[in-house]
Amino acid sequence: MSAVTLQDISLKEYTFDNLSILKQLREKLLSEKPRVCIERARYYTEYLRDMSSDKESAEIRYANAAKYFLSRKAPLFFDDNLLAGTTTSKPFGAPVYPEWTGMTIWPELDTISTREKNPMILSKKEADELNFDINPYWMERNIIEYTRKKHNNPECMRILERIVFFIASKVGCISHTVPDYKVALDKGVEYIIEQAALNEAELKKDENLTKENRQKLEFYKAVQIAMQGVIKYAQNLGKKAAELAAKEHDPFRKENFQKMADVCDRVPAKPARTFREAINSIWIVQVAIHAENINMAMSPGRLDQILYKFYKEDIDKGILTVKEAMELAGCFWLKLNDNTNLVPETAEELWGGAGTVPAVTVGGVDENGEDAVNDLTYIMLRVTELLKTRDPSLNSRYHYEKNSEEYRDRLAEVIVNTKAVPAIHNDVAVINVLENQGTKLEHARDYAVIGCVELASAGRSYDASSSIMLNLVSVLELALNNGKRPVTGDEQIGPKTGDPSQFNSFEKFWEAFKNQSEWLIGKAIDLNEHFGHAYQEILPSPLLSAFFEGPMEKGKDLIFGGALYNSSGATHIGFADTADSLNAIEKAVFIDKKCTFNELLKALKADFEGYEKLHAYLVNKTPKYGTEDPIAKKNSHNLIRFLYDFYQSHTNYRGGKYRPGYWTMTNHAGQGKLSGALPNGRKAYQVFASGITPVSQAANDLSACLKAVGGLESLCIASGEALNLKYPSVEGEEDIKTFGQAVEAYLRYGGLHIQFNIMSYEDLIDAMNNPDKYPELLVRVSGYSAYFKDLNEAMKEEIITRTAYNIKNGKAVPFPEKHKSMLAFE
Amino acid sequence: MPENISNFILLRNIRAKILQKRFLNCIESEFAEEFLELLLKLMSLVFFLNKDFKRNIENFNGRYLFKSKDNKITVAAVFRNNQMKVYEKAIDRTNITVTFRNSKALMDYLLSPKPDILGSILRQDVTIDGNLNHLYKFAYMSRHLQLMVTGEV
Repeated sequence: MSAVTLQDISLKEYTFDNLSILKQLREKLLSEKPRVCIERARYYTEYLRDMSSDKESAEIRYANAAKYFLSRKAPLFFDDNLLAGTTTSKPFGAPVYPEWTGMTIWPELDTISTREKNPMILSKKEADELNFDINPYWMERNIIEYTRKKHNNPECMRILERIVFFIASKVGCISHTVPDYKVALDKGVEYIIEQAALNEAELKKDENLTKENRQKLEFYKAVQIAMQGVIKYAQNLGKKAAELAAKEHDPFRKENFQKMADVCDRVPAKPARTFREAINSIWIVQVAIHAENINMAMSPGRLDQILYKFYKEDIDKGILTVKEAMELAGCFWLKLNDNTNLVPETAEELWGGAGTVPAVTVGGVDENGEDAVNDLTYIMLRVTELLKTRDPSLNSRYHYEKNSEEYRDRLAEVIVNTKAVPAIHNDVAVINVLENQGTKLEHARDYAVIGCVELASAGRSYDASSSIMLNLVSVLELALNNGKRPVTGDEQIGPKTGDPSQFNSFEKFWEAFKNQSEWLIGKAIDLNEHFGHAYQEILPSPLLSAFFEGPMEKGKDLIFGGALYNSSGATHIGFADTADSLNAIEKAVFIDKKCTFNELLKALKADFEGYEKLHAYLVNKTPKYGTEDPIAKKNSHNLIRFLYDFYQSHTNYRGGKYRPGYWTMTNHAGQGKLSGALPNGRKAYQVFASGITPVSQAANDLSACLKAVGGLESLCIASGEALNLKYPSVEGEEDIKTFGQAVEAYLRYGGLHIQFNIMSYEDLIDAMNNPDKYPELLVRVSGYSAYFKDLNEAMKEEIITRTAYNIKNGKAVPFPEKHKSMLAFE
Repeated sequence: MPENISNFILLRNIRAKILQKRFLNCIESEFAEEFLELLLKLMSLVFFLNKDFKRNIENFNGRYLFKSKDNKITVAAVFRNNQMKVYEKAIDRTNITVTFRNSKALMDYLLSPKPDILGSILRQDVTIDGNLNHLYKFAYMSRHLQLMVTGEV
């Protein structure tokens, strides 16, 4: 039976007029300038440098560091938000994590406040503290330098540092996961401490502990220490809120402080009893998790499911109204926006604009496979529709056999009204994918999205989903140049797989491509394994482990494989450009014999100058991924299958498999700007297509495009995909219906994920030229949302040039003639 | 203060001022051929004269090697015992080796307020081998020195 009781699922009667607190908080948030926050770096460094001993295990040291920080973390209340707790000591803060990327802003300490791209305010006093007190301690101790030293600057790390082959995200974080908040809500953090203490006492009965049991003992001790820190932070928040309530004269604020004091007195130490306690409990735990793990894609998961029982009980008791629930959900959304990533200017240039991507997932089916859409699902959609903030990255699940058409069309309506969110995930296909990876059916049904589009059984699987981001075009170029790339000059990077001009069949080139792939992926995996072991040695996560199914039962930290399910994700940049280039080689060189391989190589080297006729042929006459051409279909399928088989043959340091995915954040733009001309006719230094999306302007028929992408073998895309589409406009109920039907058709073909931007070419070009006119324009990048103005120029170009389809006839809208120079083929 | 020490500091001050001017001219010029030499000399002098700046190398040990791709320039900087020493030769046991296409490329890499990252990668302006934190620290000191010279800090 449906749990939806709302008369109007659109909740149109709730607007900023009667949700004025959300309006006011949103305006304040959007006016805040980001500030660098050194609070965590200060306390962690202080503890690890001055108060801990190398004799302690890493588990205990890091748990103590978390407790030391959380006990001292300032309890701050910057605005009238209904929830207590802040990620940083600033209203909008970028925390410094020296273990990961914090050191990269060292060169900018004097200038970060005034830099051109995304400046972040840092006082001289705090800059000096970083320069003289904090950073020196970490010179040899952050994850990259620890690993480099241990493995004597291995080849895989030197390849990483060329930037143009792959990215190993463990340099910056693992994070990327969905914790289990249910344990905090239903049982409380004190319960976790009790369980850990009981397990510790049980182990201590054995006088001759094995090495494994000694490790378990340390783990249970560490969990207790870290959880004490979580409780202490909540207590400090409660105490401060009570003090502020006593001093406050404004009746609303006085009551709000008092309520927050009462809430923090209870949660997360004890089980939540009300919706308000539950939502604040989740927020405090989320803040605490960020004490230990960097603020990147730490995803709250299925909030409409986790919170529903609290919502329903309060509604039934008459102690909560829909409006109040919307206010609390909205406050949570805004809290998720209280922090951003600390990014050096160089990275802003290459990858700028991303938020912290805490993904919230709504809708879909429950663990029994039944419709899970409820009133809270619609409340969260309405809150998203009103707030239009970068975070959370809202992901909706849709099961075309179980969820209603009204729900599907409401998703379409919210996308149209926000111009970008939510993304839509295919329950039928995703559940199959996870089951195929060994996840129990009921656990697969309870999946949530991590960060961009990656898939996790919520609170049960530790997927390190962003472990590898591999540039597939670099593999293609290595195969085209016998192990070299134009961007790295004459240096022999990959193995010598032969001069393609000597190949007498497409299969020979495909073999060379596969050999280069295996070599490069092998290096990326080697490095990921080195990093994984380094994390085990110096950066365990006892705090996060307590909020997972598995570690408490096994007595094992997440980083040692404590979770119920384990995997490492590897995503791919330049999929469509690579697939189309394979198509072009097969067709032009070996089928139509329009040119020899040697001529093609010369044309690429010349960026098609002097080869205009060949260029026109490659652009217009070779098969394109995203169409129904059989060659295109064969090559895209072979590529997906080959990569899947190769990754799955590798087991990671936690005992899980490597899973390939196809989402690119902003990397397809930056990497495109670093790559030479390609056989598909893409000119040198032009952006690549995003995620699993066909090359811009290559797939002119929406229906064929959806069929081609949806028809890829989704079981081979185990770490998720991002299909980015664009409609210039969607107007009226009929268009919304068509929108919903197109989405459903794609999902029925088998596609895993789809997301949209609702903007015309002209509007986006105007937004690029006049950023002040569009300060809050939200766009979907490749799995997450960003403010268009914050993106680098390459990324803006990529979003502009993405194929726009007319919703009424499904045909590509012609790109404006006068801006055609922006296209990768011009 | 004994007269010879006072004269020594005075001379260093005069030398620092001359170097500052040359450094300023260099970073404003198109070719910046003397950039590395001037940067290291000036850095070394300012460590001697400015105790706030010298805090940067208190208890800091670091061995840097800078070399041009054409091997025409090879300079080492060694930080030890709260001092900086510069050698015009290769050294071993380096924490980091910085190889650059030319002096201007190195200067842009270290000092440019708006670095052309993509262009720098495409031109292979600079390659790094070793501990990146040492590079970050050196880049901070270089930029701070630049801001001191231009009067911005």
